Amino acid sequence: MSKKKEKDSDLKGTLYSVGLVGIFILVTWFMAFYLFIDRF
Amino acid sequence: MTTIKEKALGFTIVDRRDGKLALANMYVAFIALFIGGLCGLLQVLVRSGKFTLPWGIGYYQVLTVHGVLLGLILTTYFILGFQIAAMSRTSGTFTDKQRLLGWIGFWVMTIGTVAAATMVLLNEASVLYTFYAPLQAHWIFYVGMALVVVGSWIVGIALFMKYIEWRKANPGQPSPLLSFMVVVNMAMWQICTLGVAVEVVFQLIPWSLGWVDKVDVLLSRTLFWYFGHPLVYFWLLPAYMVWYVVIPKIIGGKIFSDALARLSFMLFLLFSIPVGFHHQLTEPGIQSFWKFLQVVLTMMVVIPSLLTAFSMFASFELRGRQLGAKGLFGWFKKLPWNDARFTVPFIGMAAFVPAGAGGIINASHQMNQLIHNTIWVTGHFHLTVATTVVLTFFGASYWLLPHLTGRVLTKQMNKLAIIQGIVWAVGMTIMSAAMHIVGLMGAPRRSDFSTYGGAAQATDWIPYQIAQAVGGTILFVGIILILYIVVNLLFFAPKGETEFPIGEVSEHAEKSPMWLENWKIWLTICIALILFAYTVPVIEMIQNAPPGSKGYKFW
Repeated sequence: MSKKKEKDSDLKGTLYSVGLVGIFILVTWFMAFYLFIDRF
Repeated sequence: MTTIKEKALGFTIVDRRDGKLALANMYVAFIALFIGGLCGLLQVLVRSGKFTLPWGIGYYQVLTVHGVLLGLILTTYFILGFQIAAMSRTSGTFTDKQRLLGWIGFWVMTIGTVAAATMVLLNEASVLYTFYAPLQAHWIFYVGMALVVVGSWIVGIALFMKYIEWRKANPGQPSPLLSFMVVVNMAMWQICTLGVAVEVVFQLIPWSLGWVDKVDVLLSRTLFWYFGHPLVYFWLLPAYMVWYVVIPKIIGGKIFSDALARLSFMLFLLFSIPVGFHHQLTEPGIQSFWKFLQVVLTMMVVIPSLLTAFSMFASFELRGRQLGAKGLFGWFKKLPWNDARFTVPFIGMAAFVPAGAGGIINASHQMNQLIHNTIWVTGHFHLTVATTVVLTFFGASYWLLPHLTGRVLTKQMNKLAIIQGIVWAVGMTIMSAAMHIVGLMGAPRRSDFSTYGGAAQATDWIPYQIAQAVGGTILFVGIILILYIVVNLLFFAPKGETEFPIGEVSEHAEKSPMWLENWKIWLTICIALILFAYTVPVIEMIQNAPPGSKGYKFW
């Protein structure tokens, strides 16, 4: 169990990486949304 | 590492007879890459406004060759070849009957490909790869495309038979992960191709033969996109197979979780098919509610996509830390960047971030108007299929081809392969970025070069079209490089043994529950979702059918 916990804490970089992907998706989506609202 | 059990069963090497079948598919795939790629180059040159096609060759003819050969032929043949090898490697050598079916499927597909290609080359079928009615091709083109689909079904049956045989021989055990993934992909393919088969056999062939005068355009497009979106996932899932199963082995790590990989594939099976309306968001004749429902189902695909991203990062990070990486992102530097089998697919993975983000924008219901029928869409699928998928396929070729031919990838070829990946990334960044930007400025997709009567808006597009020509030319250099490497691996590389890498699951992963492989559950949900998403709108389409259209040949 303790070994497993240690492994979990090793995945911080993964968490941040996936978070960055999510942020990129949201930022691009809102940029497109802004254009859409502006045009239509 | 290959397990002792695998060694005992002789599964480490793809049987030569199975390898020959896989290789036959690969030959067609790479020939298609050359001809289709050449046509891509011609297209971007024409669209720059600086080049005119000689000998009366039409722009739309070249565009059709490009789309059909790369979107349909290269992909389908490579995928079937890869899956045949993957099945043979993980579930054992095909029986003679299964292999015979594989060959029959291959030849049916190839006869269909030659028939369709001949009609396109004779300028009798410049209908683009979507072959939308009311553009009308020669009937032989449609029969050819139908044969390609039927042939792929026959190969699919051979793959299913192998899987069933394995399950019977190993009751109560989860099947090898790669075999399981192959079966998910082929199940999705068999279900979705029914749509395009119905369209071609019952609508387009009778209409092109003159047996009926008119075609219901709305229904034909709906049937096409019932197939067209899962087609995208049929391309993508083999790339995911490489990412989930092969890449962890190449980097010296482990598969993060077998169960997560299986769940992600099953979610793709569920959410890839009942979503075709997101390609028809501006289509009149479909009620907004049904479009919205399919938009919601489309967005569900974000879940397995992010599961995949998480799993990949986790495999990389665990391996990097094992090698002593420090800090939040120190593991990134520890990855084997000098190994083309890793680096080239990695470029593909990186491309999937903007590709996925673009896809979510495209499918966002009314927001689709922003990009509909603009060249943004072309830029989008050149990131998904022509970068993410294709670079993963190239990366897989660097071990699969020498494995099948009994040769090795030399150091020089490995270096050239990395250069090829970089060339591709540079060319595609220029071409795809230009397409995305100018698409937002209103530039249409599909269309030949035009100044639109000197309109100011169209003049603004021209610099971006020149950028596309620059990017496209660099990409063609990338095609020459990959073909050089492929020819080397097929005929000239030194003899030797190359591994077909299959990752082992991490010892920290939980055991996969058997319900993940309960086909009764998953296929029932899959079919229920399809019926839910399509039954009422299709009935409405037939009851309130628009007037049919006669055929048009504008080329």
